[in-house]
Amino acid sequence: MRHSLSYSNHRAGRAGRGVFRLALILLLCAVAALAHADGQADGLLQNVLDGLGKHSAVRAEFVQTRSNPALAQPQVSQGQLLFVLGHGMLWQTRTPYQETLALNGDRAARLDAQGQLQPMRNERGVSQISQMLQAMLAGKPDEVLRQFNVEASGAPAQWTLRFTPKQERMARVLGHIELGGNDYLQSIRIDLQDGSSTDIRFSQTRDAGELSALEKHALGLP
Amino acid sequence: MSSSASPRSALARRAVAFALATLALAALGAWLLFGRGPLPIQTDMLAMLPATEQHPLAEIAVQRLAHANGDRVVLLVDNADDARAKDAARALGKALAQNHIFDSVTAELPPFDLQQVFAPYLAHRFTLLGDGDRAALAAGSYDPAQALAQHLNEPFLTGVGVPLQDDPFGWLQHWLDQQPWSRSPLLPEDDLLTAHRDGHSYVLVTATLRGSSFDDQVQQQALAALALAEQAIVHDQPGTRVWRTGALFYAAAARHNAEHDVHIVGWISTIGIALLLLGVFRSPGPLLLAFLSTAVGVIAATTLSLLVFGQIYLLTIVFGAALLGEAVDYSIQYLSARANAGPRWQAATGLRQVRPALLLALGTSLLGYALLGLVPFPALRQMAVFAMSGMLAACLSVFWLLPALLQRPAKPLSAIPVRLARAMQQVLARGGAGRRGVVLAALLLLLALPGWLQLRHDDDVHQLIVQPPELVAQEATIRQVTGLGDGNQFFLVTGDDAEQVLQREEALEAHLQALVEQNKLQGWLGLAGMVPSQQRQQQNHALLARWLDDRARMQQWLSTAGFRASAVSRYLDAWPGTPLQLDDWLRTPLSTPFRYLWLDDATHGHGSIVLPQGAADLALLQQAAEGLPGVSLVDKAASVSALFGRYRGYASVWLLAALLLIVPVFGWRYSWRQAPRVLAPPVLGLGLTLAALGYLQQPLTLFHWMALMLVLGVGANYAVFLREGEPHTGDRPGAMYASVLLSALTALLSFGLLALSSMPALRDFGLTLLLGIAFTVVLVPASLAGREAGR
Repeated sequence: MRHSLSYSNHRAGRAGRGVFRLALILLLCAVAALAHADGQADGLLQNVLDGLGKHSAVRAEFVQTRSNPALAQPQVSQGQLLFVLGHGMLWQTRTPYQETLALNGDRAARLDAQGQLQPMRNERGVSQISQMLQAMLAGKPDEVLRQFNVEASGAPAQWTLRFTPKQERMARVLGHIELGGNDYLQSIRIDLQDGSSTDIRFSQTRDAGELSALEKHALGLP
Repeated sequence: MSSSASPRSALARRAVAFALATLALAALGAWLLFGRGPLPIQTDMLAMLPATEQHPLAEIAVQRLAHANGDRVVLLVDNADDARAKDAARALGKALAQNHIFDSVTAELPPFDLQQVFAPYLAHRFTLLGDGDRAALAAGSYDPAQALAQHLNEPFLTGVGVPLQDDPFGWLQHWLDQQPWSRSPLLPEDDLLTAHRDGHSYVLVTATLRGSSFDDQVQQQALAALALAEQAIVHDQPGTRVWRTGALFYAAAARHNAEHDVHIVGWISTIGIALLLLGVFRSPGPLLLAFLSTAVGVIAATTLSLLVFGQIYLLTIVFGAALLGEAVDYSIQYLSARANAGPRWQAATGLRQVRPALLLALGTSLLGYALLGLVPFPALRQMAVFAMSGMLAACLSVFWLLPALLQRPAKPLSAIPVRLARAMQQVLARGGAGRRGVVLAALLLLLALPGWLQLRHDDDVHQLIVQPPELVAQEATIRQVTGLGDGNQFFLVTGDDAEQVLQREEALEAHLQALVEQNKLQGWLGLAGMVPSQQRQQQNHALLARWLDDRARMQQWLSTAGFRASAVSRYLDAWPGTPLQLDDWLRTPLSTPFRYLWLDDATHGHGSIVLPQGAADLALLQQAAEGLPGVSLVDKAASVSALFGRYRGYASVWLLAALLLIVPVFGWRYSWRQAPRVLAPPVLGLGLTLAALGYLQQPLTLFHWMALMLVLGVGANYAVFLREGEPHTGDRPGAMYASVLLSALTALLSFGLLALSSMPALRDFGLTLLLGIAFTVVLVPASLAGREAGR
C-alpha cells in the first residue's frame, strides 16, 4: 500500500527532476519559514522566521483539502502533524484512513500497526527532503531563496508569505505557494498550473511537549 | 692470416647488403609509424591486458564499459557560491563549445516538455508496476478503495507528474519514480544539472571529444583548451574549482609518465654508456659503432613489432629504451676483441674468435625472451617480439656490418679499468678455487636463507596499471556527487534470447534489491528495471486485471473517490493497454544513456550488463549471482590479478626449465666437470637476488620473475664471454673481465635505471636486474678458477 505516500512525485527525465525538485521546494518553503531567513529577507519576513524558529517541536491538527480538475469534489483528510527541529516530522492521517508517515534523517518510512517502521522503497525524494530539511534548520535557507521570489505581507501578528518560482522550468508546473500564520504556521496553500491545489490548515498549534515513546522511536530520538 | 682481397671484399659486399636491408627496414618502419595517420602508439592500458573472461560477451562488455565514456570528458564545476558556480559552468560550456576539438558540449539544458517524458509510457501503464505496488497488489489484502484514498490525500502534492486522471492510483508514477533518471542526485536548476553538497554547488558540464582520448594530438589540444577555459573561469569566478574525469586524463597521464620514464632511462643510459665506452676504448669510433649496432637493433625491433601488432604499447617503448643496454653487449665484445688484439687485429679473424660466444649469448637471450612471449599478455608478447628481433638484428650487425667498418687495429683498452678488473678477478678467482669455493658458496647460501624466508607474493593488477592518485581522487569526488557508477565490477547476464536475458536479470535484481534494503548495497543499474521482461509485464497485467476486468466495480470505486465521470471512462477505456517492447524502448531518446547496457552481438548472442552502485562487498555480489543461470560477476581487475598469480607460478617453473636447458649446452661446450663451475655464478646470482628482494621486503610479482629470467640469460652470457674470451687475451690478463664488466655496467645503466620508472611493474623489473646483474658480474670470475684443471 505504498502508493499512499508519494509527495516525492518526481518524474521521468529532466522534466521529472524538475517536478521532483518542485516537491522538495514546497516542503523546504515551509521549513525555511520555520527556520529563519538570511540577510536578503525583509524586516517582516525576518520577524516571522525568527518567531517560528523559536519553537523546537510543534504539534498541530491539520485539515488538508485537495482539488483537482479530475475530481468532482475536493478530497479532505485530517490528522496531526508533529514537527521536531532537526529530526523531521510525523504526518499522521486519521480520516479518511489511518496512517503515519515518518521522515527522519535520510529515511522515509511508514509506521505499521505493530509500531514498526517499514522503510519505503524508491522514496529517495522523501529522504532528500529530510536531509535538506535538516540543512535548512542548521541555518541554510539559501536553497529556497535561490528558487523563489518571496513576498511578505501583513504584520507579525498575522502574516502571509507568498513564494513564486524564479525558474521557468518550475513555474510551468507550479503557480505559487502561500504560507500564512501568526506565532505559528497556520496554513499552506499550493497552486499548480494544471488547476489543482492543496490547502492545508493547521489548528491547535502548540509546543509539542513530551513526545511519546512511539513518536521518539519513529523519529529516531533517544 | 694473409689479408687477401677476396675475404675483405666479401666482408664489404655483405656489409653493403646489410646496410641496404637495414635502410629498407628503417623506411618500412618509418612508414608504419608515421605514414598511416595518427602515431600507432597505444596508450590505452586496457588494451595491454589479456582476455581473461570465459564468456566472449564478458570481454565485449569490459571494453564497452571502459569506452562507454571513453571519449567523453566529465567536468564538475564547484563553488561555495551557487551563482558563481552556475556562471562559471555556463562560461566553461561556452568556451569549450567554441573549440573545434570538442564535438558536443553539454552545460545548459534545452527547454523541455513535461508531457514528452511520460507520454510514451501511457500506453504501457497497465503492464509497468513499481516494486512496492507489485508487492502490495500481490499480497491479497489489497484494498483499491483505500489505496485510492491514500494516493489522493498524500501530503503536500499528488499527481504532479502523470496527470491524476491518467493514473488515479499513481501506479505509473511510482514506476517512473524508481527509474534511474528519477534517482539521480543531479537536478536541473537554472537550466543546469546541479547538485548541492556540504554547502557547495556542483554543476555538471560534459564534452565529447572529436577524436579519440588516446590520440596524442587530441589529448594535447583538449587539455590545452580545458586549461585555458578553466583559467578564465577561475579568474572570473573566484573560488571555483573544476573536478574532472574521463579516459582523456588517464591516457594523458600514462603518456606523460611513459615519456618521463623514456627520458630518464633513455637519456641517462645513453649518456652513461657513451662516457663509459669513450673512457674504455679511448676513441669515439668504437662508441659510434656500438650505437650504430644498437640503432640497427632498435629499428628492426620497432619495425617488426609494428608489423606483427600494428601498434606499439607504451610499456614496450619504455622497456625498449632499457633493452639498448643488452643489445650493445655484442658490439662491445667485438670491439674489446679488437682492442685486445692490438696491431695483430684482423676483422675476419676477430669475428671468428667472438662468434661462438656471441651465438651462445644470443641463443640464451632468445630462449629467455621466447619464454616471455609464451605469456598470453599482448603487452608481454610484444616486449618479447621487440627484444628478440632487436637482439638478433644487433648481433647480426656485429657479424655482417661491423667487420667491414673495423678493418684497422685499435688502441688497446684503457689501462686503468683493465688493471682494476684484473685485481678483482684475481681476488675472486682465488676465493672461488677448489674446496674454498664450495665453502664460500655454501656460506653465501646460508646468508641468503633468511632473505628467502621473507619472500612474499603480490599479484595486484595495479602493478601494470597505475592511476595517478590525484585523478582517482577527482573521479571519486565526481562519483560521490553525481552518483555515477564505478564500472570495475559488473554482472553479465546472458541468455538464448532477449526475453530470457531480461527474465534472468530480474532474478538477479531481486537479489540485489534485497541487499539494497539491508543497506549492504547502494543501488544497481540494469535494463530490466527500465524494460521488464514480457513475462513480468504479463504478471503485472494479471495483477491489475483482478481489479480492472470488472469495469463496473472499478467505475464505482473511482466515482466514489470523487473522480469525474469523464475522467473515469477515459481511464477505463485505456485498459488493457499494450506491453512495452525492448526494441521499441531502445529506439527512444530516453534510453540513449543506458543503451550500452544491452549487448546484442551477432556471433555471441544476447546479454546485458547490470552495474552495482556504490562500494559493495565483493563476496556479497558473488553471492547474489550464485545459483542464477546465465548470471556471472565479472571483475576484470581480479581476473587479471589472478592471471598474474598463475603466470608468476609458471614463471618460476620456466626459470628452472631454462636453467635445465642451459646445463646440457654448457656440459657439451665446457665438459660436464666444468659446467657446474661456469653455471655457479649465474645461479648464485639468482639466489642472492631473491634473498636481497626478501630482505628489501619486496613482494614478488610476475615482473620480478621475468627479470630473473633475464638475469639468468645475462649472467650466463658473462660466464660464456669470460670463458671464451680468456684464451685470446693471454698477454693482457684482466682485459676480458674488463670487457665483461663493461657489458655489465652498460646493462646496469639501462635496465637498472628502470628502477626509477613510474610504473611499478618496470620498477620491479629494473630493481631485480640491478641486483641480479651486480651479483652475477661480481661472482663470474669464480668460473675461471678451476680452468687449468679442466682443460
